[in-house]
Amino acid sequence: MELTVTQENLARALSVVGRVASNKTQLPILNNILLRTDGNRLLIAATNLEIASAQYIGAKIAKPGALTIPARLVSEFISSLPKGSVELKVVNDNLHIKSGSYSSVINGVIADDFPELPTINEDSSIQYSIKTEDFKQAVSQTIITTSSDSTRPVLTGVYWHSHDGELYLAATDGYRLSERRLVQTTSEVSAIIPTQTLQEVLRTIVDDATEIDILFDETQVRFRINEAEIISRLIDGNFPDYRQLIPKKTETTVIIDKADFIRVTKIAGLFARESGGSITLTASDEKKSLSLHSIASQLGENTSETAANVTGEGQVTLNSRYVSEALSVLEGDEVDFSFSGKLAPCVLRSTDVNTDYLHIIMPLKS
Amino acid sequence: MDHALWQSVLGEIELSVSHATFTTWFKNTELVDQSAEGVVISVPNIFAKKQFEVKFNDQIKSVLEKNGVTPKHITYTITTSGKRTRVNREITVDAATHQTADELLSPQPHTSQTYTTPAVSPTGNLNPRYTFDNFIVGSSNDLAYTASQAVAANPGMKYNPIYLYGGVGLGKTHLMQAIGNEIIKTRPGTRVLYISVETFVNEFLDHIRFKKKGFSEKYRNVDVLIVDDMQFIANKEKTQEEFFHTFNHLHQNNKQIIISSDKPPKSIPTLTERLRSRFEMGMTIDVQMPDFETRCAILSAKAALSGVELSQETVEYLATNIKTNIRELEGALNQLLAYAEMRGVSPDVSTAEGLLGNVRQSRPQHLTSKQIIDRTAKHFQLKVEEICSAKRDKHIVVPRQIAMYLLRSELHLSFPKIAGELGRKDHTTAIHSVEKIEKAIKLDFLIREQVASIRETLYV
Repeated sequence: MELTVTQENLARALSVVGRVASNKTQLPILNNILLRTDGNRLLIAATNLEIASAQYIGAKIAKPGALTIPARLVSEFISSLPKGSVELKVVNDNLHIKSGSYSSVINGVIADDFPELPTINEDSSIQYSIKTEDFKQAVSQTIITTSSDSTRPVLTGVYWHSHDGELYLAATDGYRLSERRLVQTTSEVSAIIPTQTLQEVLRTIVDDATEIDILFDETQVRFRINEAEIISRLIDGNFPDYRQLIPKKTETTVIIDKADFIRVTKIAGLFARESGGSITLTASDEKKSLSLHSIASQLGENTSETAANVTGEGQVTLNSRYVSEALSVLEGDEVDFSFSGKLAPCVLRSTDVNTDYLHIIMPLKS
Repeated sequence: MDHALWQSVLGEIELSVSHATFTTWFKNTELVDQSAEGVVISVPNIFAKKQFEVKFNDQIKSVLEKNGVTPKHITYTITTSGKRTRVNREITVDAATHQTADELLSPQPHTSQTYTTPAVSPTGNLNPRYTFDNFIVGSSNDLAYTASQAVAANPGMKYNPIYLYGGVGLGKTHLMQAIGNEIIKTRPGTRVLYISVETFVNEFLDHIRFKKKGFSEKYRNVDVLIVDDMQFIANKEKTQEEFFHTFNHLHQNNKQIIISSDKPPKSIPTLTERLRSRFEMGMTIDVQMPDFETRCAILSAKAALSGVELSQETVEYLATNIKTNIRELEGALNQLLAYAEMRGVSPDVSTAEGLLGNVRQSRPQHLTSKQIIDRTAKHFQLKVEEICSAKRDKHIVVPRQIAMYLLRSELHLSFPKIAGELGRKDHTTAIHSVEKIEKAIKLDFLIREQVASIRETLYV
């Protein structure tokens, strides 16, 4: 293998792909990145056997070939080089890298042992093209409520599914739930994508990408962003029927300015560190306000009040971190926060009538 | 048949690839279908599927051919549990196949540890093979069995802690794990942690030495804590203190604690007083040597598990000849079954007789009465002359009686002979002594313990 690429392209591809290379498996070659010529492009790929990440970059190829090299060393070396062209040449399973006055040799391992990257049959799978902006927003709105409890694997991912002709994303960790409507669909989909995969896709999105292609088949999903591809397994199992948990009506509704709500939650949260983030929210339609109360037995206590348009009255105790996280992903400037008593689920959503997003938090038992 | 075929294919492949390659790719694979059309092999994920299709296909094909199967083609499918991801280009009417979500969102428990994910695996390191169903109950262990079942039915409510003790290979671990498995079965979601005290000690050391975090959380965040081999905590003062705090924390929150050891709490040397009293506050139960009938029942059950039916005679023969513990009993049975299968003979008494010669080789055939008296004397730190003397001090009389009992039970000497060995003229003394110790063994733990440990030294 002998070729020339630009440092910028190579460094960017290596830094994105290299993250997937894993040192946690028993197979030592998974620490390595695969470099392989493909026509007049260079394929850069890594996998941890859950996810595979691959990127193609343009290259001037003098001699085709393939090699694997340790991910960390090569990414750090290439990213430290000055801009310009980089020559790569394989001699006796070692990679000779030359760029201007820098040259180095990295010991490689032959590419034959590197796992084959899974492929997906485009004819039998379902494809969506989604604007990267929508994708980023939808994923970051749902990914925060995924669970990290490996004893319930179905909750450790985001559930992509069709419902009444639309594609929905949903995730829950048992304490909160989020749902986002994404695009219209005529196909039927029901797939749970692992959280880590979606995080990896978010990191892979480059600024100039406008669309992201998503392809599902029964066991895997592929994301394609320009020249980058991420292929991942899906989580096996049935996602719970979460729709029945969304309250149809609530007793108390608070319409509140989002920035105000974020500020008072943050302040109340300061005094709630000892108590596991527990803050008590009291809505009063007489005073037209929402007041937040938290106590730190050792340090003191806090009561913050902010003006709000309240219908009905009530009190509920929530985890301040959950409230902050939910507010941080809600769109719009005004929030509709509704609940029914101390134990029923609370619903947060934007007051915008066109909103596609819904967030539910379970109260703390006080 | 498919299973055996695939096992032999795997066996052969294991030799030709590296260990890492084998465990990464070939674990959790299975031959699921075999027909004239070809064979279907299930693999765990998409990566394995691709790898098999591209890299291992030829190898598997050639090994299959060696084993007499010539598939037209090999297909690989991905194992999924139950209903898997659905992808369909057309929308079909979907009768709700989802699991119910009634208990999905529940109000959060109000604790400050809301975010710590429990450091407990779903099975709590338990071995699912140990259940109450396959525990054989006899008079020697029915108390322990009944108490364990009560604990499994109401963890944290009745008998907390439950402390099981007894010699090696008598089923303590089996009972404890059975409690854990039963709790997990009847109350899914309960956090059960099974550890041996050694794990606790090691993790505690790591916690101190490398300032590893999460030690207390791991042990205090469980609903049922099962600790095996508690006697090894002796002489470890700091660990005892840490365990003491863990114990208190769990006990106060009504979490079940289950402990096993080879000694009762008061016989563990250097166990601090506060731990000892705590161990004794729940229920302390002695798991004893199985009696003859129980041994027979165990043998029949184990043989049935291996799909073999043993004649009553064979069972009785084995049970008569092996008395020390259940593990040895199982060992002899396995040896018998393996031998019978290998030689193509039936596992009957004559085969067993031929074999038990082997089993008993571990026991010196040339055990003499002198050795028994020596060991007994040594155990009680007496001189041989003292035991054989006419002194009637209590600290000499009991050892002397034990020696007589052992001479009778191990060497089957006649009573006059036993009396003679210990410098007595009257054989009725010997009869009285043997009877006395036989009775004491049933009643007095200390005597039983001492006899057992002397007996152990005899057969090392």
